[in-house]
Amino acid sequence: MNDNYHIFSDGRVERHNDTVRLVTDDDEKKYLPIENAEALFLHGQIDFNTRVISFLDDHGVAMHVFGWNDYYSGSIMPERGQTSGQTVVEQVRAYDDEAHRGKIAREIVDGSIHNMRANVTYYDNRDYDLDSTLDALDRRREEIQSAESVEEAMGVEASARRAYYGIFDQILPEGFVFGGRKYNPPNNKVNSLISFGNSLVYANIVSAIRATALDPTISYLHEPGERRYSLALDLADLFKPVLTDRVVFRLVNRGQLSDDDFDSEMNACLLTETGRETFSKEFEQTLDRTIEHPRLNRKVSYQYLLRVEAYKLKKHLLTGEPYESFERWW
Amino acid sequence: MSGHADERTGETDPVNLLLESARDEAVESPFHVTGVMMQYYEVCKRELWFESRDVEIDRENPNVVRGTHVDETAYDEKRRNLSIDGRIAPDLLDDGRVVEVKPSSTLVEPARLQLLYYLWYLDRVVGVEKEGVLAHPTERKRESVELTDENEQQVEDAIRGIYDVVRSDTPPPAKEKPFCESCAYHDFCWSC
Ligand code: SF4
Repeated sequence: MNDNYHIFSDGRVERHNDTVRLVTDDDEKKYLPIENAEALFLHGQIDFNTRVISFLDDHGVAMHVFGWNDYYSGSIMPERGQTSGQTVVEQVRAYDDEAHRGKIAREIVDGSIHNMRANVTYYDNRDYDLDSTLDALDRRREEIQSAESVEEAMGVEASARRAYYGIFDQILPEGFVFGGRKYNPPNNKVNSLISFGNSLVYANIVSAIRATALDPTISYLHEPGERRYSLALDLADLFKPVLTDRVVFRLVNRGQLSDDDFDSEMNACLLTETGRETFSKEFEQTLDRTIEHPRLNRKVSYQYLLRVEAYKLKKHLLTGEPYESFERWW
Repeated sequence: MSGHADERTGETDPVNLLLESARDEAVESPFHVTGVMMQYYEVCKRELWFESRDVEIDRENPNVVRGTHVDETAYDEKRRNLSIDGRIAPDLLDDGRVVEVKPSSTLVEPARLQLLYYLWYLDRVVGVEKEGVLAHPTERKRESVELTDENEQQVEDAIRGIYDVVRSDTPPPAKEKPFCESCAYHDFCWSC
């Protein structure tokens, strides 16, 4: 259930009877079992027509398009009838109320720092001495409690992330020099992996938000009206350490990526098709991992945690019950 | 008939409000109660609040919405569905009695209340007196249900209770119930 299908080859996706099939440029035909799919991820050059779009729409399947440079380029979201005026009204109300918006923004930053810290602790318990980073993150976490404006909260988030990224060069093996976050375009291998991973997190959250009646453009930490779905940017911050960063560490430390998986041109470094394939595979496996959820009383996948987060926020907005952002508990 | 207005000083009794808006479409603040709302009132008032706010349920949730499903499949006796003003939709048997299916032994009270509400509504709004049958499809048992002074009171109290839940800005807090597991709002409620 809720599988993502990644298409890396070039070709076309088309509706064929009651299925969707991929016809690659070398005329290979592949059927996509979309009944249980959450989304199709198009990484190659893919043609499609309105017939396949309405078919996907009927089945509630999203299509996320991944371009070059900045990776994520857009989504075609199913209509699905999930609209609720009430939800959007409450969403806007909370946005418009400075105190309320600030509270949600702080809660998101608080959870993000917790989740970064969980990664640092993991490596601190292994062979690394990362106490100073842990201290720095703890201080940011204290700071966020008293952040007065959303701008300030953003600032705390940024400096926490800088401290956190500081450990990457210690943890990652030689040949994977990071030197701080650069995107648009990513300037080295590590940055291209983070960019690609974060855009996968983002696209999955876009799908998760779409499953609720939340409006993806009304956000609290990020400013609405940015080019992208800013609510997805808000929630993505919480999950980047758990999803993107762990996948990066895992693949690189196991030596599963080589220089051939990257394309360096000018001052950009981007993943090749096979590089993306390797990354997506590991990423999907991570999304499929399950964890016992203490309140839902059952095992849920990491992917479902994204959905749960959208529910939590929506519930907070509709009922006034407190929103507690996702903090890795295992 | 329902002399409860005095308990709510200055406010119209929800029972009267419901009757007025059922009889006259032009009533300014209409108050509707559907049969399903009666069930939710018995089963879970939080669910009732969600339902009244159009909090949409997750369509992919594998849990089937309680009751309605059983209702349609487990009982194949001939009956007609009668939709009245688009507000209530009782099922009638050939002999004219109103039938309500009890989906399971835990949900007999909600079904009974819904049936009583139909009988009450038909009596008060439409002006016809009907008898009711509570049917148990698997056990092949049926139980006659009639509107009495006592259960009339129960229906009207439920209408007032529903009014309070629906008008409230916040839902009653979640409380773990045996129904939660099969509730369409389960993950929404307990996502925390
Ligand atoms: S999950 Fe339980 S508490 Fe929540 S609405 Fe359903 S029955 Fe009520």
